[in-house]
Formats: sequence, structure tokens, C-alpha cells
Amino acid sequence: MRDASTADWLRHVTSLPGVPGHEHAAAPEIARAFGLFADRVTRDPIGNVYGWIDGTGEAPRPRALLAAHMDRIGFLVKRIESGGFIRLTTVGGFDPRTLPGREVLIHSKPPMAALFGTKPPHLQARGESDKVVPLHELYLDAGRPEAEVRRRVPIGTMVTLRQPPVDLLGGRIAAPGMDDRAGVVTVIRTLDLLRADRPAWDVVGVGTIEEEFGTVFLGARTASERVDPRLGIAIDVSHGDMAGARDGDTIPLGGGPGLTVGSNIHPRIFEGLRSTARSLGLPYRIEGYPMSSGTDAMDIQIAREGIPTAVVGIPCRYMHTGIETVEPRDIDRCARLLAGYLAGLPVEWSVTEVLK
Amino acid sequence: MTGRRIPRSGARRGAAPRFREDLLEALSNESGVSGDEERVRARIVDAVRDHVDSLEVDAMGNLVARIGFESTGAGARRNGAAGRARRAPHVMLCAHMDEVGVMVISIEKEGRLKLRRAGGIDPRIMPGQVLRVGTAGLRGVVGILPPHLTAHGDDEKVIPFDDLYLDIGAASREEASEHVAIGDYAVFDTVYERWGQTRKGKAFDDRGGCAVLASLVQERPPVPVTAVWSVQEEVGLRGATAAARRVAPDLALVLEGTASGEAPGASEGESAPRMGGGPTLTVHDRTLMADVRLVDLLQRVGDERKIPTQWKRPGVGGTDAGRISLSGVGVPSAVVSLPCRYIHAPAAYLDARDAQRTVDLVWHTLHALGKEWSER
Repeated sequence: MRDASTADWLRHVTSLPGVPGHEHAAAPEIARAFGLFADRVTRDPIGNVYGWIDGTGEAPRPRALLAAHMDRIGFLVKRIESGGFIRLTTVGGFDPRTLPGREVLIHSKPPMAALFGTKPPHLQARGESDKVVPLHELYLDAGRPEAEVRRRVPIGTMVTLRQPPVDLLGGRIAAPGMDDRAGVVTVIRTLDLLRADRPAWDVVGVGTIEEEFGTVFLGARTASERVDPRLGIAIDVSHGDMAGARDGDTIPLGGGPGLTVGSNIHPRIFEGLRSTARSLGLPYRIEGYPMSSGTDAMDIQIAREGIPTAVVGIPCRYMHTGIETVEPRDIDRCARLLAGYLAGLPVEWSVTEVLK
Repeated sequence: MTGRRIPRSGARRGAAPRFREDLLEALSNESGVSGDEERVRARIVDAVRDHVDSLEVDAMGNLVARIGFESTGAGARRNGAAGRARRAPHVMLCAHMDEVGVMVISIEKEGRLKLRRAGGIDPRIMPGQVLRVGTAGLRGVVGILPPHLTAHGDDEKVIPFDDLYLDIGAASREEASEHVAIGDYAVFDTVYERWGQTRKGKAFDDRGGCAVLASLVQERPPVPVTAVWSVQEEVGLRGATAAARRVAPDLALVLEGTASGEAPGASEGESAPRMGGGPTLTVHDRTLMADVRLVDLLQRVGDERKIPTQWKRPGVGGTDAGRISLSGVGVPSAVVSLPCRYIHAPAAYLDARDAQRTVDLVWHTLHALGKEWSER
């Protein structure tokens, strides 16, 4: 796979399951991918996966942390009802309007396909199609006898949307799990570039856990504690241009990386990324998030004694659906930007100042 | 499939023909929205050409096959058991080839496609779906704003069909127009699969009936049969209206895929008919009062042959039989359906055992008709 294209990587890495708390379903493959390019690959007890690139500077070298979360939104089996119908709890934010009629994969052993049941128009009461079916009324039908479902599907079993990657025009790819496997692929590509063009710093690419769940970005926080980086950059999807979206809420697909500005972002990293983009001739967009970037950078920033952070965004349409759409070219640009920026960092770079 | 000859199952003398699951799979995966049935028809032609005596496409696009007229030609009078003059009835068997889908009606300057429905599709199943557009099967996705950008409360509002659009990845109208034209049809991008006894696929309404009908004509029937694979059922029962007039049968059986009712918490009544419960008989629906003699006969044949049958919820839906029954001076008609979950949705289910049972029931009913049907 070492010579695989970005599109191939996207198709492969988005096909791996791994909802929050179940990242072990993806971690071995992601570790293997990191291992093709990194000098060392490690995994910590909580589940984060690390790919290490050794810098050329004199030891001890500063470390840069690149975080992309390995988890993807999905479901867990909550209850099995009479008739073998399955009720779910969501892990991650779904719009219930995107689920009726969709196929899923229940990650039992062996896995079992199913779909979200719908009532055919023929059996609906008048006006029924004007009402959204809320999440708690949705159910899965595996088309199998109740006894078989009960035997094979324990409560708590992971469920993911079942949608093979769709190749669209312009090289664009739609698949569930682009959030944030597209970021994981960006890290893979960045490690590949850094292996050839070594920075002075050590660079640690991390596949983090549990970004999509809970009140803390758990993987990012624990990885920052462990790595003790001098800077951290989260790589995550940004909203791509879509019908119905307000100007300022999106960046164009094919328009290059989104660089976030706001309280979560250290201006010196932002400026460094922007000047790198300019000098490499890479297109980019600036996204303003004054409060929260909504990414792993939120917890990297406040780990240890405080870590300067930035966010590099991959334009992605239809986030949190089964058809999250990206353009591989944007991921290549993000990787070139990150590798270019990191390769140019001198070992003495620091945002802390001793004033007197 | 082209040109492949299916050996006749002569060893099973008296037994009903085998259900052609290979054909169901091919037909389910093929696209054919109402008015665009050409490719579905071509596959059926390949499957039945070697078995039938004549095969024609009529003015509307219906595929019409005749079989079994040589020994018991319609109108030929024979003596019944009681010595009463009687003729073998000319039976029309009908299944519709079209499926519900959408048509591209405009290409926006950003490269997005606007859609219009052909047939009954609940707009609530569209957001986030993947469609196949045009004969080349270009993929597109039905976009929706992410939850992050959806205004509070908007996720409780159904997106009207007219506000939906298809994203094929094109960045402009010019780019999209190189691949798609106004008037192109699109269908759900669903692949046929076998899950235990369950079969998953799109368009089981009525490719299930199409495959049952193609299975039946593998053997010579005991009565003259005109098999009609009709067009444009989902947009107003049109193909069968014209076909029935031309065929002018003595009676008709329509083979359908019908909605089964199982759902969590559904009562026994609401759950009927059930997938796996056998061929489903209609008392009446919105278009038809089924001929009681035919319904009685179907039920009796089922009982005698130990083929389970069940009832469709009365008054629901409508089929080609509604129009066939009104044709000319009237045609006694009934409907035999394959119970399917989630018809008119991206993927439906049916039970493979129901498919063979439907072939069995219709086959043995044709035999019974040959023996005992008489005009009033």
C-alpha cells in the first residue's frame, strides 16, 4: 500500500469501523498504515495510535503533535424487540432525516447487514409523510428470524452505516466516516512526506480516540499528556460548500485547506501555516471560530501547561451522513502544507517568552 | 444472460417450474423507471425467448408472450367432465417492469441536479441516499446540510421533494452537462443480496412478479397463456390498460410485489401480510374488486397443495388488475402478490420461499382453471 493513492487510502480507511469506544476495530489497520512511513509506531493503553518521525535536530528535540481522530459516528445496539427488530443508541450526532431506508452493518461475529425500516407509502395514514421519524422511533430490520438475531447480536454491539465509497465526478469521493478518517489519511500522507524530507523536530502523528463522544476530547488530551509536544495541530474535516449553507460557514471543495482562526488557535502557528501555503503556492481558506474549533485542538490546547495549537481543515460536504464528500486533492494539499510547515521549524521555535 | 438457454425441468413432471432467482437478481439490479423500461425488458426477453411461442413489444412498450395455444387454443370448445361444452380459458398473466424513481429536471449552475418523482416515493427516505443516474450508471448523492449547520428545530421538518438535489461531484453546469441530460432517470444504488432466506434488493415491486412470470413460462401451461410484462404501472397503471385491450383474455392474474406490514409494536392485523407467510391474495384494493371465483380457486389450490396463502390488507394500494378488469367487456381478475418489506424504498426484502410458492400457486391454479373454469 506504500504507493497507494490518496483516493485509495480514503476508500480503505473509511471502510474500517470504529465508533467511539470501539476504535480497536480500526486501530490495527491505522497502525499498519502509519508503520509504512513512520520510524516507530506505538499504541497507548487508552487506545491512541502513534506514528513517530525522528527529526534531524540534536536530541532532545521538540515534538510536534498531529492529531486526527480515529473514531467515526455510529450506533450501539440498545434492545431487541419482538419480531427481531433492533433499537439503537447513537454515538455521535446524526440527523434522523438521513437514516430511514439506509443500510447498516451490525458488527456481530460474523457481521450482519440490516437496514433502517420504513413504512411504505401504501400503508401510511394521510399526512404521515409530513412528520420526521425521530431517532428513538427508528429501528433496524436484519431480515432474519428473531431467535437468530437474539443469538447473534449482543446488546452493545457496534453498528455503522453500510455504504461503499462512491466515486463522483472530479475525483470526489463520498463515504461515511470521512469525519475524520480523511484526517487520518492526511496524517499518513504527511508522515510519508516527512520521511523523505526530514524536519529538525520529531513529529508524532496520532490517531486519537473518542472525539465524537463525551464532554472531553479524551484521546487528544491523553496523547498530549503522553507526547508533551511543543505544538499541536488537529486535522479534521471542515464544512464544504453546500446548498443552503450560509457564507462563512463553509469552504469550497477543491479550494485547499481551511485554516482556522480564533481563540483555540495560536496566531504564530496560523501565520506559519499561512506563509507556508503562500510560499508553496497552495490555495487555502480562512475559517473564523472565535469560541470553539470543535476539534481535538480544544483539548490539546489545555493539556499539560498549555500547548499552542492550530487546526487544518479538509473541506467536506454533508458531514455526519453516509455520504460525507471530499476531494482527495485537498487532502494532498493539507499534507504538503503540514509537511512544509513542520520541515521549516527551527529547534529553538517556542511561543513562550522570558521577558525579564 | 444473453442467449443462455435454460434447460426445461422435464424430470419434475407435473411440478411447477423452478423460480428463476438469477433473473430476479438481474432485474433488481437493472434500472427501469416508468417510461424507461427498455433494459429491464431486454433482460426478460433474453430469459424467456427460448420458451415462448411468440414474443412482441406493443405500441406502449409492453412485452407480450404467448404460450400454450397449440393444444387448447382459446375458443376451441371441449367437452367438460359433465359433458357440458366448455373452452379452455385464455389467461393473461401480468407483472409490471417499471420501478419508482426520479427524473433529472434541471442542472443548476453549481452543477447540482434537481429531481422530480416518478411514482410514489416518500421524500423522507431521500436525504443522504446514493442514486445511479442515466444509462451509464453515474453515481450521485442526495445532499443535506450537516447537523452542525442545521437551525434548531429544522431537523424536525421534512425536506420537501422539490428542495432536494443530487450532487454528482460536478463543479459547474457545464461539467455536469457533459455527463447528464435533463430527462435522465435515476434509481437507488442498491445491490441484490442473499441474507439467509431473505433477499435484499431494490424494485422488488414488481421485479419479483416479473421473475415469477418468467419462471412460469419455462414450462408449457395447460391453458393458453398470454404473459404481459407491462410498463408504467407506477404512474397510473397505463401499460396494462392498453395491453389488456389487445390481448382480450378470458381472465387475468396479476403478479405483484406487495407491502408487508411488520414493524415493532405492530398489531397482528397491521403486520399482515407477513414476509415468509406465502403468496398474498387480494380481496379488494383501491382499484379492484377481485373476482371471487378466482380468489376461491387460488385459495383452494393453495390448501390442496399445502401452499400457505394469506390476505393483503383490504382496500390498500392498487395494481394493473384494476385496469385489466375494466378492459373491453370486462375481465375477471385477481392478484397474487409476493409479500415484500419496504417497497418503494431504497432496499426491500422478500423471502425466497415465498417466490417459489407464488410460482407453485399460480402454476397449479392454471391447471385447475384448465380443468374446471367455465363461463357463467
